[in-house]
Amino acid sequence: MYRVRLSAIVLLAALIAFAGSDAAFADSPSVTAVLSNSEAAIGETVQLQIKLSGARDARPPENISVDGLEIHATGTSRQFEMRNFTTTSSVTYNYTILPLKAGRFTIPPQTIRVGSQLLRTPELRLNVADSAAGSSSSGAGQNAQSVGTGKLIFAELVVPKKSAYVGEIVPVQIRLGFDPRARPRLIEPPEITGQGFTAQKLQESGENSETISARTYEVVTFKTAIAAARAGKFEVGPVKAKAQVLMPRRPSSPRSRSRSPFDLFNQDDPFSDPFFSNPFGQLAERREVEINSEPVAFEVKPLPQKAPPSFSGAIGNFTMATEAKPNSVQVGDPITVTATITGRGNFDRVNAPVLEDEQGWHKYPPSSKFKQDDDVGISGTKTFEMVISPNEKKQNVPVMAFSYFDPVKEQYVTLRSEPIAITVQGGAATTPSAPVAERPGSPAPATAAAPATTKPQDILYQLTERPKAAQSFAPLYARQAFWTAQLIPLLALIGFIGWKIRQARIDNREARRIAALQHEAAELMRKLHRSDASPREYFAEASRVVRVKAALAAGGRRIDPNMVDVDTAADTFRLNGDSRERLRRLFEQSDELQYSGAHNGSGKISPENRRDVLELIENLRA
Amino acid sequence: MNLGKNSSANYIIVLCCALFASAAFAQSDAEFAKANQEYAQGHFKEAISGYEALVRAGQWSANLFYDLGNAYFRTGDFGHAILNYERALALERHHPEATANLQIARDEARALEMQQSAPERYLRFASVNQYSIAAAVAFWLGVFCIVRLLLARRRSTATILLSVFLVFVFAVGTLAIYELDHGSKGRGLAIVTDKEVQARLATADTANSVLALPPGSEVKILSTRGDWVYAALPNSLRGWIPAKSAEQVRL
Repeated sequence: MYRVRLSAIVLLAALIAFAGSDAAFADSPSVTAVLSNSEAAIGETVQLQIKLSGARDARPPENISVDGLEIHATGTSRQFEMRNFTTTSSVTYNYTILPLKAGRFTIPPQTIRVGSQLLRTPELRLNVADSAAGSSSSGAGQNAQSVGTGKLIFAELVVPKKSAYVGEIVPVQIRLGFDPRARPRLIEPPEITGQGFTAQKLQESGENSETISARTYEVVTFKTAIAAARAGKFEVGPVKAKAQVLMPRRPSSPRSRSRSPFDLFNQDDPFSDPFFSNPFGQLAERREVEINSEPVAFEVKPLPQKAPPSFSGAIGNFTMATEAKPNSVQVGDPITVTATITGRGNFDRVNAPVLEDEQGWHKYPPSSKFKQDDDVGISGTKTFEMVISPNEKKQNVPVMAFSYFDPVKEQYVTLRSEPIAITVQGGAATTPSAPVAERPGSPAPATAAAPATTKPQDILYQLTERPKAAQSFAPLYARQAFWTAQLIPLLALIGFIGWKIRQARIDNREARRIAALQHEAAELMRKLHRSDASPREYFAEASRVVRVKAALAAGGRRIDPNMVDVDTAADTFRLNGDSRERLRRLFEQSDELQYSGAHNGSGKISPENRRDVLELIENLRA
Repeated sequence: MNLGKNSSANYIIVLCCALFASAAFAQSDAEFAKANQEYAQGHFKEAISGYEALVRAGQWSANLFYDLGNAYFRTGDFGHAILNYERALALERHHPEATANLQIARDEARALEMQQSAPERYLRFASVNQYSIAAAVAFWLGVFCIVRLLLARRRSTATILLSVFLVFVFAVGTLAIYELDHGSKGRGLAIVTDKEVQARLATADTANSVLALPPGSEVKILSTRGDWVYAALPNSLRGWIPAKSAEQVRL
């Protein structure tokens, strides 16, 4: 129940809204017209909008003609608005205005028929200034070529000025329009033909859709700039380009064909071919077409005589700023002066500012950098860095002057830098320089001709001695003798390695001998501790232990154990008299038992005797 | 018998060579004295011709380049004067007369100098040749120490420390040689001899200027392309200059 009631309310509201909207359309229609900008420069487009409210069908003005303005209709837009259940609609007719010359223009009231009613737009005013200077000038003129009807493709050359000075940069626009249904493909970019001027590299600046003569075109805009090389009357253009477009294949026999929906006015529209209404019905083909614009007459005036000395050919409108670093230096120290020239004009002819008074200064050639602000390099900032150094005491950096020709004012302009205070230490102070305004053309003051205080130094005398051999620039490591000399330490190293290896081998042999002796001594000592040996064997082994121990104790002297006698052993062990005597008795007993028949006597050694011998042997230490 | 004949022939050849060398040196001495005499008489162009002939003959000496620099200085050719003073100093680092006159010529010409990097400045207390000798000595002593360590039964701490020190000296010496040889005053050093030389961004006379180089200015040649050389410039800049406008210091 509740849902049914809600639906009824919504339906009622919709009905009220519909009735309200009818009421809104039923209100008396009104029209307004507005310009997107009331100030413009030559070549700068302005949008005109004619807004019709409260009317559904109207016939907008097809052609608005104003001398000096090229006005094209570019489209229609509709707006619907619902406010407080009231719907309002409006139709906006858009036009693009291209000023062709400078001046004050009045767009007259336009009449729009709404049903049986006639409405009039208000009168509009447009101030068009010269494109280069931004102020109005009467010298500008129309140069764009109108688009013919019935064309698939068109080219326009837009030159905002009819006259210029030699060397003056004039911005130029090239507009190539294509019917989008032709699916164009540019195969050769546009080129401005003609003689007596130079053109900069073309830059594509944008693409937009425009309605011209009730036909929609995709318009590609290119920007460049031209500069005349000599005075006289020239023709700029025509612009030439090549493109491939899709064209309907012509039928072999004439037949009737239906009109294209695009061909509203029964013009010779190639797209009225049935191919475009049924692409699968017939074939189309790509054709290469040449696009040409109309040439534009152009007058070039020579520059006036009596150019200032600092004029280097710069034409346009510029400003200059300077700075110097450091501000405190010694005589002879460098100061970097940076001059920044900003503006619009032929920057390729903008040279560094000149010093108006170079006396007492040493200057170096400047370096430059250019940063452009637009696509074609007409507008930007050129920065010069110049190193100068004072030869004497100074208080200011010299005034720098830069001259250019202003085509709007039609006269030369000289910019001068403000004096920059600096401190220069060392050297003598010079007379303060004359005021800037009096400097050009005025004779130099007498004091300025005084010689510099710093006397140039003279070089030292000639040297007559010569070395006995020629010297070489080659570094030592690159000379053959250096690497040959390395053979000496290399050979020494090889000898050293050989000697070390031999020494190691000798050490090994000695170690093995010592190990054998130590083993023998230990074995003999074990036998001496046993009690089963005969006296002959016991004393022979005891004397052998003494000899082996003496050989071990001799160390580096390398004594053969067989060659050790009592005195050698006693000396080796540094025995006292008693021990020496006991050792002698031991050796004598051993010899006696070895070489005499004593071994046939008693078969055993007394324990006291054995202890005495062992004590003697164990106490033998080096 | 044959051996005796060969020995005699060799002896004669060596003697002839010695005599020829001696005669050539005596002749160059005479040319040097003549060029000095021309200079003393104020005939600087003739003196330059004489000195240049000796340079072309390879009879290089610091004094010859110094005298040639003086002759160029007298003719007002500061670019060539500075070039020859630099050459004299390249042959003899401590040539006081060349150092003094070089400073005067630079002041006159307002020549720009290359800035040395910090390591290069510190390593300048010795020459490349001195570093070469130090590195070679350290290398061989280090090798001896390492061999001794490898072959010894017991490795002494002193030998290990000495080895490490010598390896360090060798490494520093080698790095110093590289730095000095490839630095701003190394083998690529060249002097601008022409007047009004502009270093440019590209190899074209119409290219944008990077830096104006007064005669006598130092540049370091990095590469060559046709008639242009790409060079490191004073103020840490780089640019192209015409090859004929600058000459390398080291011949």
